[in-house]
Amino acid sequence: MMNVTVVSHYPKIGDTPEEQVLRRSLAQFDRKEITAPELERVKDEVTRRVIEEQIEAGIEVVTDGQIRWDDPLTYLTRKIKGFRVTGLLRYFDTNTFYRQPICEGELSSPESLVVKDFQFAKGASSVPVKALLTGPYTLAKLAQDKHYGDLEKFALKLASILGEETKRLAQAGAKFVQFDEPALLNHKKELPLFKRIWEKLAFSFPQGIETILFLNFGDLEGLYPEVLTLPVTALGLDLAGKSENWKLLRRARFTKKLVAGIVDARNTKMESEEELREKLEELKDLVPGNNLSVSPNYGLEFLPRNAARKKLACLSKVVREFRGAKVKV
Amino acid sequence: MIPILPTTSVGSFPKPDYLKKARAQASKGEISEKKLREFEEKATREWIQFQEEIGIDILVDGEMYRGDMVTYFAETLKGFEISGLVRSYGNRYYRKPVVVDKVKRAKPMTIEWFQFAQSLTKKPVKGMLTGPYTIMDWSFNEYYPDRRELTLALAEAIHEEALDLEKAGAQFIQIDEPAVSVRPEELPLVIEAMGIATRGLRAKTITHICYGDFEKIYPGMLDIPVDQIDLEISNSTLNLLELFKKHPFTKEIGLGVVDVHSHALESKDVVKGRIEDALKVFRPEQIYVDPDCGLKTREVEEAKDKLRVIVEAAKEVRKELAQASRV
Repeated sequence: MMNVTVVSHYPKIGDTPEEQVLRRSLAQFDRKEITAPELERVKDEVTRRVIEEQIEAGIEVVTDGQIRWDDPLTYLTRKIKGFRVTGLLRYFDTNTFYRQPICEGELSSPESLVVKDFQFAKGASSVPVKALLTGPYTLAKLAQDKHYGDLEKFALKLASILGEETKRLAQAGAKFVQFDEPALLNHKKELPLFKRIWEKLAFSFPQGIETILFLNFGDLEGLYPEVLTLPVTALGLDLAGKSENWKLLRRARFTKKLVAGIVDARNTKMESEEELREKLEELKDLVPGNNLSVSPNYGLEFLPRNAARKKLACLSKVVREFRGAKVKV
Repeated sequence: MIPILPTTSVGSFPKPDYLKKARAQASKGEISEKKLREFEEKATREWIQFQEEIGIDILVDGEMYRGDMVTYFAETLKGFEISGLVRSYGNRYYRKPVVVDKVKRAKPMTIEWFQFAQSLTKKPVKGMLTGPYTIMDWSFNEYYPDRRELTLALAEAIHEEALDLEKAGAQFIQIDEPAVSVRPEELPLVIEAMGIATRGLRAKTITHICYGDFEKIYPGMLDIPVDQIDLEISNSTLNLLELFKKHPFTKEIGLGVVDVHSHALESKDVVKGRIEDALKVFRPEQIYVDPDCGLKTREVEEAKDKLRVIVEAAKEVRKELAQASRV
């Protein structure tokens, strides 16, 4: 049966004073009014709250909301030895920014990157938690390399680090591990290189976990159906609105699990239930129900928290009704 | 008289502490709008006076009355609502505007402030607007069917404002489009919208573009229908001047010569060097000298120091040019 999930991040703050505790605490931490452990406790609390919110909205596989992440790169690259994190750059076509990491030496991650966070989230959730990592190709493309001197070498090293991390996550009980690789859609000609990097990464994938490759910030024109040969269990795609991806899915049979991002997380305009139902109808014909999850097309942090909550609630309501109707038939 | 290599600013200046405090108080309803306006006028007066004192040639009002370059217009235009908070980076959040209805200019948005600033000086004050494409790109759209339709509706509203600025005496009108370089495939839309915004204007028109991935939009961006394009040159990782050697820059250039994102103050020689480098690619009369971008994120004193260096460097280069032409 199709389930309903989310992509990655969740708004860290909302409109009420209680929902702004993280913003306040970060400011207090900067002014040295609270200690690092105190700030960590606030992040724990907010993580717990955003997991609850996802579950309340009907999400069946949740994330930790990446409450501890500044952006898709900084949180990981601060923990990987060999990187120095520097100035702000625009993140794809958004009005958000990331700090560019510069690789200045041999990379290594003697300690795990997100396992502790995963364990915390797992303990705080009554439904499965999906672990999140930024993919090796996207990390390599958005970082600056002053050590390896070759994109492939650099990305392969990152792939081996992320592969180790995937094993650690599996040992900690993760059933779902998602890798975000938006950079591929801006550099489609590099698919052969991307494949080589991913074969290396997948070499470390333990048995029994579901790996999800999320590809957004563009469409798969020129990459589909070749992307179906990548060594992952599921692909996540932007299928909100009239995305070009719809045409591609109709063109060639989809042979993996699909996470269909049918709700637009970049605009506050609410989808109508009717529109979402039509999408589910069409998806049902393209991908068998057991192989289908639906979600927003991006992480939810591009939206105000209220809009994010509303969109999730609407999506899971439509999915539940849709499943109910199918069961009855 | 405006000299050769005129000095100017991109638009915003930092708000003095008393104004920041007043804005916070006004947002909580602790002081009246009228009281806030007094502080805004005081700060505007101070900035105009400072620019005159150090010898800037084309002045700006410093945007003491604007919070954010998009939100200000969204709050003033009809058809917008202001949303909840969204994060930009780190612990920085802003209220991203939402288009919920047909966009219309209900009343002039910047004219009174332009007139106020111009009344304080005999030098020209630039009229400062945010471009339709950038307002579109930095807003949620719940009303228009696509990005183009919203952009074109905004272009009409900005056009009305630009006409009123000209009527009020503005000789220079700057319409900023910092979002332009983000989606190179939408450059034709930027050009179309700017054509509407600047239609029939006799004033000198300028657009400011930043966060550059200029390689992808050059030379196409020269088709944006304005007289001058203002660029951040000092903070650019790309050697723009090399790019302009390959394909000549056919407009006037607003030459950003100090980095607005850095506390460090450039020396006069560094700034002179940047102007002199530009003179290898541009004719002197093509160049206007200014900071890379709005200075509002700097401290007041840092911003003043950076402006002083610009004026001193430009004066020396002018002198050298005059001497060279005499020889």
